[in-house]
Amino acid sequence: MMRTFRGGLLIGLAVAALVAAAAITYERYDTKTLKRTIRRGEVLCGVNKGLPGFSIPDEKGNWTGFDVDFCRAVAAAIFDDPSKAKFIPLDASERFKELQSRKVDILSRNSTWSMSRETNYDLYFPAVAYYDGEGFMLPRSRNIDSALDLNGSKVCVQAETTTQLNLADYFRINNMKYTEMKFGKLEDVVKAYDSGQCDTLTADASQLYALRLNLSKPNDHIILADIISKEPLAPVVRQRDDDWMMIVKWTLYAMINAEELGITSKNIDEAMKSKKPEVMRLVGTEGSYGEDLGLSKDWAARIIRHVGNYGEIYERNVGSESQLKIPRGLNQLWSAGGIQYAPPIR
Amino acid sequence: MTKFRHLIWMVIAAGGLMLSASQTQAQTADVGDQPGLVPDDSVELDPEWRKQVVYYRTNEAPGTIIISTTERHLYLVQGNGRAIRYGIGVGREGFQWQGLLNITRKAEWPDWTPPPEMIARQPYLPRFMAGGPGNPLGARAMYLGTTVYRIHGTNQPNTIGTAISSGCFRLVNADVADLYDRVPVGTKVIVRQKPQL
Repeated sequence: MMRTFRGGLLIGLAVAALVAAAAITYERYDTKTLKRTIRRGEVLCGVNKGLPGFSIPDEKGNWTGFDVDFCRAVAAAIFDDPSKAKFIPLDASERFKELQSRKVDILSRNSTWSMSRETNYDLYFPAVAYYDGEGFMLPRSRNIDSALDLNGSKVCVQAETTTQLNLADYFRINNMKYTEMKFGKLEDVVKAYDSGQCDTLTADASQLYALRLNLSKPNDHIILADIISKEPLAPVVRQRDDDWMMIVKWTLYAMINAEELGITSKNIDEAMKSKKPEVMRLVGTEGSYGEDLGLSKDWAARIIRHVGNYGEIYERNVGSESQLKIPRGLNQLWSAGGIQYAPPIR
Repeated sequence: MTKFRHLIWMVIAAGGLMLSASQTQAQTADVGDQPGLVPDDSVELDPEWRKQVVYYRTNEAPGTIIISTTERHLYLVQGNGRAIRYGIGVGREGFQWQGLLNITRKAEWPDWTPPPEMIARQPYLPRFMAGGPGNPLGARAMYLGTTVYRIHGTNQPNTIGTAISSGCFRLVNADVADLYDRVPVGTKVIVRQKPQL
């Protein structure tokens, strides 16, 4: 009798241990990010520790920025509540590993989409959120409006960067000469330029607008329209979780389509009553596009209501309503002079 | 509500057409105009409204003017993926329009003859005002088709970036003079509006 009881207890314990192990394994290795996110009640977003316009916390720990708003849009689509996004600052060197090891659900951290980053890290960049690229800043008084007029310039550049390599390629291809003034630290590059040691400074365009703010006379300097390299900044997710990848991808496309259709956070209630088929499909008054993503019918309306359309997010964080004041340029809609183009919702 | 608004729009459009047919000499001016005010042209515009060369991809030929009413920008297409962008003031709600027109006439320091319906709305406006620094049309005017609309200067630089005019597009005097020298009579002008919900 006693023996049987002890045997039963042992078997019971073994089963319990197995179940616990299975549960822990499941929790750790469940590949369904949407399910994990809903169970947890928040989206974990890997962001830059502090990049004005893209992601930066204030003294109270409130995050703002373009990358931050994108994560809030994903949270709004899932939870109808943009505050259900939690921001986890990550270093450039650790960001992809942290995403792989499931410390975050999305990386929304000014990361350039390149082939090797997808193949080497088993990651996926669903769509381009911001087209960045290398540009040039120079004194307004030089009266130059094309990079092809920079022949013979002294160029300030940060050493050991792809920026330096792109610069060399651009001048070589266009048969132009230049004198390289390279510095290890970006702040020394800026100091040299501000004190007149160089004719022009080169860096990624989004960075140039931020650097210009700190010059002694910001208004005396312009940034050329020319972009000489491709730096497509995109959110990043893990491979082999297509459902989650689709949510991240269509969150961005919903915001771009909303701008094209003229739907904003201010007129979303009016848009819900629209009889225009394209508007109805986006806001969910027609079709089951949200349900097919594993979300609600009004998933896109939630994004627009709480966070805004693409243009609103752009202008608020990096455009005309921000300190940076970066013209839309490449990031304008394809129908208005840029290349931002979202496949239709239908 | 949307239907009603459409109706209003149609009435305005019809009125506009009749207006353009009968009042080719009339010129729109604006609520809140301050005829006689001499502008302080040293005022520096916000970077958003300052003239600059920007990336701009289009199939329209170099030399074409594209006006985005929502953005409050006027683009002069340069080819090679770029345009000169100017900040503008645009028509207030109910006074915005869309379409393709040509520049039919150019004038320096234009005279101003507010059309009768403007006088009706703003009885305090002068019936005629000779061109000059205090004139609301500013330093230059480019006449669009046979309409009452113009691209013109202003004696109120602080209104750039706003939507307050009666349908005209205004630039600061330095910018309108710059644009004036770049575009001939016959230039294609495309006006774009925000989409309707």
